Amino acid sequence: MADTAPPMEPPKLAHTPRARLDATLLRILGLAFTVFIIAYIAIPVVVTLVMSFNEASVIRFPIKAWSFAWYQDFFASPQWVDALKSSVIIALGTTVISTVSGVLAAWAFERFTFPLKSVVYLVIMLPLFMPGVVLGLGVAMAFGNVSIFGYDIYGTRGLVMLAHSLWAMPLVFMLMEATFRTVDHRIVEASYDLGGRPVQTFFEIVLPSVSTGIISSALFAFVISLNEFVMALFLTTRDTQTLPVLMWLSLRSAGTPRLAVASVVLAGAVFVSLALIMVWYVRQLKKT
Amino acid sequence: MADTSALELDRLRRAFGGVVAVDDVSIDVKRGEFVTLLGPSGSGKTSTLRLIGGFEKPDAGAIRINGGRVDHLPAYQRDTATIFQTGALFPHKTVAENVAYGLRMRGVARADIAPRVRQALDIVRLAGFEERYPAQMSGGQKQRVALARSMVVRPAILLFDEPLSALDLSLRLQLRAEIKRLHDEIGFSAIYVTHDQGEAMAMSSRVAVMRSGRIEQIDRPEKVFGEPASEFVYTFIGESCCLKTQMASGAAADADGATIDLRLANGLADGDWRLYVRPSRLQIDRADLDNRLKARLDFTEFLGDVHRYHFKAGRIELFVDHQGAIAHRPGDLVDIGWRSADMVAYR
Repeated sequence: MADTAPPMEPPKLAHTPRARLDATLLRILGLAFTVFIIAYIAIPVVVTLVMSFNEASVIRFPIKAWSFAWYQDFFASPQWVDALKSSVIIALGTTVISTVSGVLAAWAFERFTFPLKSVVYLVIMLPLFMPGVVLGLGVAMAFGNVSIFGYDIYGTRGLVMLAHSLWAMPLVFMLMEATFRTVDHRIVEASYDLGGRPVQTFFEIVLPSVSTGIISSALFAFVISLNEFVMALFLTTRDTQTLPVLMWLSLRSAGTPRLAVASVVLAGAVFVSLALIMVWYVRQLKKT
Repeated sequence: MADTSALELDRLRRAFGGVVAVDDVSIDVKRGEFVTLLGPSGSGKTSTLRLIGGFEKPDAGAIRINGGRVDHLPAYQRDTATIFQTGALFPHKTVAENVAYGLRMRGVARADIAPRVRQALDIVRLAGFEERYPAQMSGGQKQRVALARSMVVRPAILLFDEPLSALDLSLRLQLRAEIKRLHDEIGFSAIYVTHDQGEAMAMSSRVAVMRSGRIEQIDRPEKVFGEPASEFVYTFIGESCCLKTQMASGAAADADGATIDLRLANGLADGDWRLYVRPSRLQIDRADLDNRLKARLDFTEFLGDVHRYHFKAGRIELFVDHQGAIAHRPGDLVDIGWRSADMVAYR
C-alpha cells in the first residue's frame, strides 16, 4: 500500500499548561479592554447625570448633597422649557420633512431609471458631507432677508427644519435606498397581478415591508435634528432657539448644574427614541 | 372564435437585447382549457407567461383576453392571476388578508369578501389557517394559499409559473393532483409553465413544447408523446435511446465507422442517422422482431419497479427497462429487438 497516504493524525490540541495560561491572560486582557471602552463611552454621560442631581450651584466634586432642585429649576424656567419645546418641534418637523422626501426619493431611485441618475445621487448625498457651518451660513444668507406675505422666513422654526433636513434627508435617503433594494420584487409583482395599482401597491405592500427601515431612519432624522447645534445657532432667534443653542449661550453666564440638567434631558430624549425603536423592532420580529 | 377563447396569443414576439426570448408564439386557449408551456430553461415559456401577465411588453403581436386586446394594459388592469414559483405571498399579511387582497383591489364589496375568502380557503383545504402568517406555514401550504389568492378573484385565465418546482417530490405529486382536481371541479382556464414533462402530461388539456422562443408542437399530451413533431420534442418528452448510425449500402456502422450488427425492417438511405426508441419499448432476447441490434451488456441498475440494462454496441449506448432478471451477465452479446412503430429516425 505504498501509494496510499498515511492515516490523518488528529491535530494536537493546546492542552499544555503554558497554552492554558496564555488563554486566561488573553481573556483577562480582553475583559479589561472592554471595561475600558465602556467606561470611556459612559463617563461623560455618567458625570453629567451625577452633576444634574447636585444641589450646589457650581460643578465641583465631591458632591455634598443630592437633589432634584435643578430639575425643578429647569422646568420652571420658561426660557429653558421654550428651548426644549423648540428643539422637539424642530426635530419632529425635520423628521416629517426628511422621512417623506427621503423615502419617496429612495423609492423613485429603486423603481425608475432616468438620465444622470448617479449625478443626482451625488447631489442628494452632498449636503450630508457639508460642514454645518457652511450649510448654516448658506441658508442664513440665502433666507436672511426673505419674507413671504410680509412674514419673515429668517428665524422661524420652519427654516431650521429645512436646514436640518439637508442633513437628515440624505441620511434617510441612503438608508431607505438600501432598504428598498431588499424588497422582494415578486410580492410587488404579485400585487400588480392581483389588481393593485402602483399607489395602492406602494402603501399596501412596499411600505409595510420597509416599515422597520422607515422607523429607524425617521428616528435617525429626529436624533440628528435634536443634536444639531451649528445650523441652529445661525438660524434661530431668541424666540426659536433650540436647547443646544441656549446651552451654549448660557455656558458663560450659567456654569450651573442647569446645563447638566439640559444635557440629561437631551440625552434622555435620545435614549427614549432608541427605546422606541427597540420596542418596534421586537414587535416586528414576533410577527414573522 | 373569440367568444369561446379565454386567451389568444397572436404571433407574439419579445426580444431582450439581441436575444429573441419569445418568437412568433400563437396559442388559443379555450375556456376551461389547461394549456401547459413545456420546455427547458431559456426556451421562452416564462417570458411568454410574463407577457400575458403584463410584466413585460411584447415587441410585436397581440394578446386577447376574452376577445379584448390587453397588450397595452398594465398588469393591474388585466384579468389574469399568477401563481408564482415561490408563492410570493405578502409576508406581513395573514393568510386571510392575502387571499382577500385581490378582491379588495378589484373593489369587491366588503360584505362579499369574507365568504369568498372562506370558500377559497375551503377549496384548497386550508380552512382554519386564516390568521396565520406565511412564515408560519410550510412550502406546500404557502403554494395552496397562493392558489387560493389567485383563484378567488376568478380571473379569465390563471397563470402558473412553475408553482411546484420549489417543493420536494412527494409534495409536488400531491399538489399536482390537487390542481388537477380543482381544474376538473371548477373548470378554470389556465396556462401552466413547467420544465417537468411529467407535470405537463398529467395535468394538461394540451401541451405546447417550446424551444428557443418558439412553439415546436402544441397538441394533446398523448399526441405530443406518441406523435412528436420533431426530434427535439421526441427527446425532450420521455426517455429515449439514441442510436447514432452511419448507413452505407444497407450496412450499418457506429459514429466511428465500426460495423455494428443492426437489422432494420425498412432500409434507410445512405448517410448519418439518429434512430430513437423508448427504453420501455426495447426488448431483450427478441431476435424475432423486425428491428434488432446485437449489443453487449455493460451494467445493470435496479430502479425499483424495473431493472435498467445498459448495453453497448460500438460507440452506441442504449438502455432497456425490463421487469425481473435476465439470463445474461456483463459482456454477453444480446439480441435487442423493437417494433418499427416504436422507432423514429432523423437525419
